[in-house]
Amino acid sequence: MKSRNRPLKIIVIIVLLIVSCAYLLPIYVMIVNSLKTLPEIMQRTYLAFPRVPQLQNYRSALFGSRDFLIPMARPIMNSTLITVSVTVLACFFGGLGGYYLSRTVTPFTRVVFILVGIALYMPYQAIIIPLTTITARTGLINSHLGLILCYMIINIPLASVLMGTFFLGLPRELEEAAEVDGASKLQTYFNIVIPISLPAFASVAIIIFTQVWNEFFIGLTLVTPRTQTVQVAMAMTQGSTISPYNLQMAASLLTVAVPLLSFVLFGRYFIRGVLAGALKG
Amino acid sequence: MSARVESARPNRPRKKTSVPEFLVFTLPLLLFLVILYGTVIWNFYVSMTNWVSIAPDYSFSGAKWYVYLFRQPRFWVSALNNLKWLILGVVPTATAAIFLAYLLEMAPFPGVEAYIRTLILYPVAMSFVVTGTIWSWMYQPDKGIFNTIIRSFGVDSPFSFTNDPETATYWLIVIFIWQYLGFSVIIVQSSFRTTELQEMIEAATVDGASRLRILFSVIIPNIRSGIMVLVSLLLISSLKVFDIVWVVTRRGPGIATDVLATNMIVTAYDQRLFSAGAAIGVIIFLIAFILVIPYTLYAFKKWFE
Repeated sequence: MKSRNRPLKIIVIIVLLIVSCAYLLPIYVMIVNSLKTLPEIMQRTYLAFPRVPQLQNYRSALFGSRDFLIPMARPIMNSTLITVSVTVLACFFGGLGGYYLSRTVTPFTRVVFILVGIALYMPYQAIIIPLTTITARTGLINSHLGLILCYMIINIPLASVLMGTFFLGLPRELEEAAEVDGASKLQTYFNIVIPISLPAFASVAIIIFTQVWNEFFIGLTLVTPRTQTVQVAMAMTQGSTISPYNLQMAASLLTVAVPLLSFVLFGRYFIRGVLAGALKG
Repeated sequence: MSARVESARPNRPRKKTSVPEFLVFTLPLLLFLVILYGTVIWNFYVSMTNWVSIAPDYSFSGAKWYVYLFRQPRFWVSALNNLKWLILGVVPTATAAIFLAYLLEMAPFPGVEAYIRTLILYPVAMSFVVTGTIWSWMYQPDKGIFNTIIRSFGVDSPFSFTNDPETATYWLIVIFIWQYLGFSVIIVQSSFRTTELQEMIEAATVDGASRLRILFSVIIPNIRSGIMVLVSLLLISSLKVFDIVWVVTRRGPGIATDVLATNMIVTAYDQRLFSAGAAIGVIIFLIAFILVIPYTLYAFKKWFE
């Protein structure tokens, strides 16, 4: 489709300009203001460029300073531990379950699939009160394990649907050949299916990683100071009037750095992942 | 496809899965499904009890807390706001995504197309907490970015954005649209890219149909399933909205931007009306369930075919 008429081109240019401004502006504001001194932010417009880039703002945001009491280093460590564990476990168990669902059609697997499908859009609000009760009773509330288990409740079904959909599209010749050679189902899965499914696993891992890293509701309800996640810490900087604006912006950048970096590095998998996970909001 | 190939050769001996193997494959998934549905049922039961302090009280009290909620004006404030979110978070986003995807697909400037697609997609990697933080800077009435820009044209800005209880919810929805637009464009574009559709578009172009005509009579009717997936996704995300409201306005001014999800957490954890909070959870779940029925049927049909 090539466009030759001029008015259309002009409309396209205007629309694209507006769109790129709308998407560049917020990230510009975030970066520029994270590099200013506090008086600079107060006295000049937010859009102004920093006079001297204040790189030490990031150190203060990470480790705290006299007037920034929410150091991000620990929440970042917590979130990394929780998110990586959930991603690995969900991919592993979800892959197993998804493979079984995609290779067996019985009334039982149909029921399981329907239950898994509903689990995908389960609002956390519908399960949070029992989750608080369970984690408080068992003492899990004070450990990272509690949050990891809670996130796995939603993310194992998600991983099994995404991986299952992928496995459905895989040609079955290789697996059949392996079975004829006497391999068990499990051997076939681990030796034949997993090696050719690594790109799909990568996509699913990225979507789950981003989602768990960015999750706020469960975090807000279930974290204790020991397990505070990065989004909860970030929300605290927004809620308090005392947090200096420049450090708040530096903390924002630190919060989005990991998923944004994975977006830049693995964009291809990322897009495939979000497309596959389309219905998980 | 391959499922059919396989059933065409029924005489090939298929190994049965042994019981231990079956357990290795499915036990973790089943275990977490049991926990999930167990907590859903538990929560439903809590909504029918009389749990009103920190200590759980499981004495049955019927629909008492549902009645309590429905009599409360605040419940209806948040329900009405959810309705605004459902309509304004979905219709403009989907419409804009279809037009933008079409515009990018026509690609008068190929390099620009790739750039825009990547640019509008980056919010997917960001959390609503951070997006909300940045946007509350954009929205500040005195020094915010938008009003600074408006004032630079020499006009006094009429907007106080999220500080105005009348319009605050709409400004929050703008953030949501911003966050989901790139993602929606990708979904629409991926449904453009079928060979049949491309051939139909070419045929229509040869016949001399205008571009708008092509969009409305060729493309849109043929990407219905893509649009359905997109709309379901947006419906469910705008129903579950919590983070934006919590971070940007914290339900304020007053309770002007309260939605069911924020109402739930305040009812249960601040006011300690756990049963009422559980009831709101049940209501959110039921709405979500109804909203995604079309998608669910579609997905099941695709899976079991």
